[in-house]
Amino acid sequence: MTGRETMSSFKLGLSILWAACWTALPIKMAFAMLFMAMGTIHLETKLGITFLMLLMSPVSVFAFFLITLVTGFHFGEGAGLPLLFLVSIPIDMWSLGLVARTVFLERLRLEPPDSLGVGLWVRFALAGALYLPLLWVIESGATDLARSITKSILDLDMLKALPVAERIGLEFTAWGSVSLLVLLALTYIGLTILGKLVEGKTAGAQPASDTYQALIWRWDMFRVPTDQSLMLTAFTGAGAVMSVLFWMVLPVSTPHPHECCKPAAVTVAPPFDPQKSLTKGEKAFKDAEVKIAALEQKTAEEEKEKPKGGKDKAGVKDGAAKGDSKTPPPAAVKPAGSK
Amino acid sequence: MDTTTQPTTTQPSAIEKVFAFVDERVGLKTLQAKMLNEPVPGGSRWAYVFGSVLLFIFIMQAVTGILLMFYYVPTADHAYASTQYIIHTVDYGWFLLSYHFWGSTAMVVCVFAHMSQVFLWGAYKKPRELIWLVGLALFGIVMGFGFTGYLLPWDQRAYWATTVGVEIMDKTPLLGDFMARFLKGGATPGQMTLSRFFVIHVMVLPAALMGLAGLHLFLFRKAGPAGPFRGSVEEIKAKTDYFFPRQIWKDIVGMVAVFLCICSLAFWEPIVLLEEATPDPGDYHPEPEWYFLFLFQLLRLKVFAGEFGQFLGAIALPGAFMALLAALPFIDRDPERNIFKRPIALISWIVVMASILIFTVAAIINREFLE
Amino acid sequence: MQPKLKSKVRCTDGEVGEVSRVIMDPLSHDISHIVVGGGSGAGPERQVPMGQVQGVTEDVVSLRLSLAEYATLPAFNRDEYVTTHEVEIAHLEERIHVTPGEVLVPFPELERSVKRRTFFANFTHAIGFLIGFPLAFPVLRYLMKPMYSPFDNEWLKIGNSGKIKQDDVGVQFKYKRKVKEAYMPEQEIDKNVWVLKATPKVLETIYQGKDMEFRDSFGKHIWTNKKDVPYIAFSGKCPHLGCGFKWRTHKTLGQVFLCPCHLSIYDAAGKVLDGPAPRPLDPLPIKVTATGDITIIDMEFKAGTKAQVRIV
Repeated sequence: MTGRETMSSFKLGLSILWAACWTALPIKMAFAMLFMAMGTIHLETKLGITFLMLLMSPVSVFAFFLITLVTGFHFGEGAGLPLLFLVSIPIDMWSLGLVARTVFLERLRLEPPDSLGVGLWVRFALAGALYLPLLWVIESGATDLARSITKSILDLDMLKALPVAERIGLEFTAWGSVSLLVLLALTYIGLTILGKLVEGKTAGAQPASDTYQALIWRWDMFRVPTDQSLMLTAFTGAGAVMSVLFWMVLPVSTPHPHECCKPAAVTVAPPFDPQKSLTKGEKAFKDAEVKIAALEQKTAEEEKEKPKGGKDKAGVKDGAAKGDSKTPPPAAVKPAGSK
Repeated sequence: MDTTTQPTTTQPSAIEKVFAFVDERVGLKTLQAKMLNEPVPGGSRWAYVFGSVLLFIFIMQAVTGILLMFYYVPTADHAYASTQYIIHTVDYGWFLLSYHFWGSTAMVVCVFAHMSQVFLWGAYKKPRELIWLVGLALFGIVMGFGFTGYLLPWDQRAYWATTVGVEIMDKTPLLGDFMARFLKGGATPGQMTLSRFFVIHVMVLPAALMGLAGLHLFLFRKAGPAGPFRGSVEEIKAKTDYFFPRQIWKDIVGMVAVFLCICSLAFWEPIVLLEEATPDPGDYHPEPEWYFLFLFQLLRLKVFAGEFGQFLGAIALPGAFMALLAALPFIDRDPERNIFKRPIALISWIVVMASILIFTVAAIINREFLE
Repeated sequence: MQPKLKSKVRCTDGEVGEVSRVIMDPLSHDISHIVVGGGSGAGPERQVPMGQVQGVTEDVVSLRLSLAEYATLPAFNRDEYVTTHEVEIAHLEERIHVTPGEVLVPFPELERSVKRRTFFANFTHAIGFLIGFPLAFPVLRYLMKPMYSPFDNEWLKIGNSGKIKQDDVGVQFKYKRKVKEAYMPEQEIDKNVWVLKATPKVLETIYQGKDMEFRDSFGKHIWTNKKDVPYIAFSGKCPHLGCGFKWRTHKTLGQVFLCPCHLSIYDAAGKVLDGPAPRPLDPLPIKVTATGDITIIDMEFKAGTKAQVRIV
């Protein structure tokens, strides 16, 4: 019969935090994508580090904002970010509870105490609020120091002749390894602290009396929801809704058009203005009237001047004048008829 | 027969009748049991999902690839225009093309993850040597996909990355010139190159991949899953579950996670082409796709300067490394699979991964230093 | 030998029944237990670990337990197991041989002749080979068609020497070359060469006292650049990786050809002064008429190699 596993604080902290973070991630990501699609989160270049912070939300939920306060580091814009971390609180509580109960049963052979998830979340979040900003400051300080030292070493005369590619590789490896080692050490300490916080909960726990197989069965069954149809419907429904939202949000044509194929600037046709076209029509009518009057006057004068030879011409002119007089009325009809 | 004394049984439904009909002819129940009820010793694990995820990505690439072929034309005078047409005019074309592009990145990442998982779990050791060898061939095919597909948009980036890549291949002694001319379809890259790369990308490699992947799966089933590398017999037995539904559940969660990642990348970082390919590179500095960057940077080192140096860095060294990987199950005969008890294996893996990472980052930094 | 189903099971002091079932361990692929049932007294079927089995023959499995000890063994619970038809265990049938006797199928009379089998087998292989083989040569030629196209040695007029004002100074001449690739429409591609009017000292560096001969891949002579003709045309592509280079004033090296891609530097004679270039600049066949019209044969050479290999 496999006995109870002796776990160091570091191992305990690691096994709980690692599993809890990844278990909670899919649900948090769904919200993250929703908020991003709604335009409430803008990250520019800080996507990687912000994602990491979200992944670690059981410990970073407060630290995320404290880091900005203390160091001035700007993760991103938008109301979606604090909302996302707010939403992650119940998710993390659930996830921590699930994972911690599993570890308690399988590896520690202890009965998990009640509200383990909430209890651990409080401890983890507070510990994270204190430790993570500290880790951030130390790590960035160490990195900056390592970078400047390696830069000054490479600026030495005897290394000036080093070609570019070799220089870049060496520089990055040198300060990168130092930075990584510092990060690993700080992470180790952090996880050990978390492990000790968990041990605070194990101290009062009762030993679990079941066989190994029974313990495995128990934590395995935690993962099967009591109301399967509800879970299935809710999940599928949420997924379908998100898909439809996605279809609505997805632009039909590329959001980054190339120089070659920019869409033609859409010229909006001026909307029809009845007032304008009426006045236009009236003006045209008036102009025509003036023209006709002038023409009639002209023909009358010409008739007076050439009474004999002008008859044919007058006849022609009259006909022409008559023809002119015919055109304005249809124009006058138009504005009234068209809407 | 007195029917009144028989217990009342419900008549089989229509679906059940159809199922029974097929089962009688195909042995469906047994087949289903054999396919799905495969015990995974030590239980299903998230670490095991990468193989199935790779299969999923391949299928998505095939689907999006076929869709792209409805509009893409593989000739030098239409490749660029038809690709731009897909991006700018066809509804959601930009999204599908970007999905196909990011899918190839996802495939390379998952290939590295899968190979690392198999290596760290010692699942290449006896009796799984053949699975490992077929897997290495599949790795080569995936890299081939990335290389050949990259040329198809026929913009400056595509054309010059390919030209540089093929020229490097040319440095192989004896066979280099023939191989380079075969791929280029001549002495210089042009229409012949595009046609060949298209056929290779769309017919030759998919056929090879499907065949070898089928073999890979068959061999895997024959050998059975290796399971965890530590744990007493009792622990392993207590946690054993079947492939279906537990491992398949983890596989599909992995698939959906990758699917959403690719969709997000396609949505927020869609493909944008450069100008159409011209025989003169102008101000453009050729660069391969990101998973070849480490090799690209390696070749910038002075130790690999000159013709033979380039061959050494680009062909000989990577070739030797692949040969080492192929020989691995035959060199490493120690049945121990616990990675924490295989220090050489663990340190080698860390060194190789770190080197690839360092050279890739160095290549990116080096961009600033190009005149 | 593995215990056979239906064989009798004996304790040290009496018979207890027969092997009714066999249980296999899925990890080790060995038999882990036998299930003994059907004994007198109609007790429950019991599960006996193989460790308690002393000996196995074709008909009898003898245990190292007494009847009393046997009675303390756990009862067999069928619900804890599935048959091998309901799971996928690799190598199962090969490792487990628990059925007594054999199952046989008749061997056809015709197949018993070894000569017959080998004849048809070998001929099948031969025909299979001959189905693919005739295609091999045509297919290879088919694929290789465009790979070794012959060169076009046409003389192209690129300009007039009146454009060159000074000696030993690079002057770029741009021209268009008509190219028809396979079935593609004929294209005009922009090309350029650098021409210089060389002083005897520079000419000496380039020609090394010998006329420059140009031959095609069969060795047939195309043209000879005479060493006393003062005009030199260098191919516009840098021998390092094919980039277009320029004529510039360098801060320490004076007036040079400079390639912006990887900073290869050449002097007026095309000799490499600095950078990764593997060989000097490539001169092309050049003819200058009495009126100063310059014509060249446009050639391209493989980039990145020490040897000069013509490719276009």
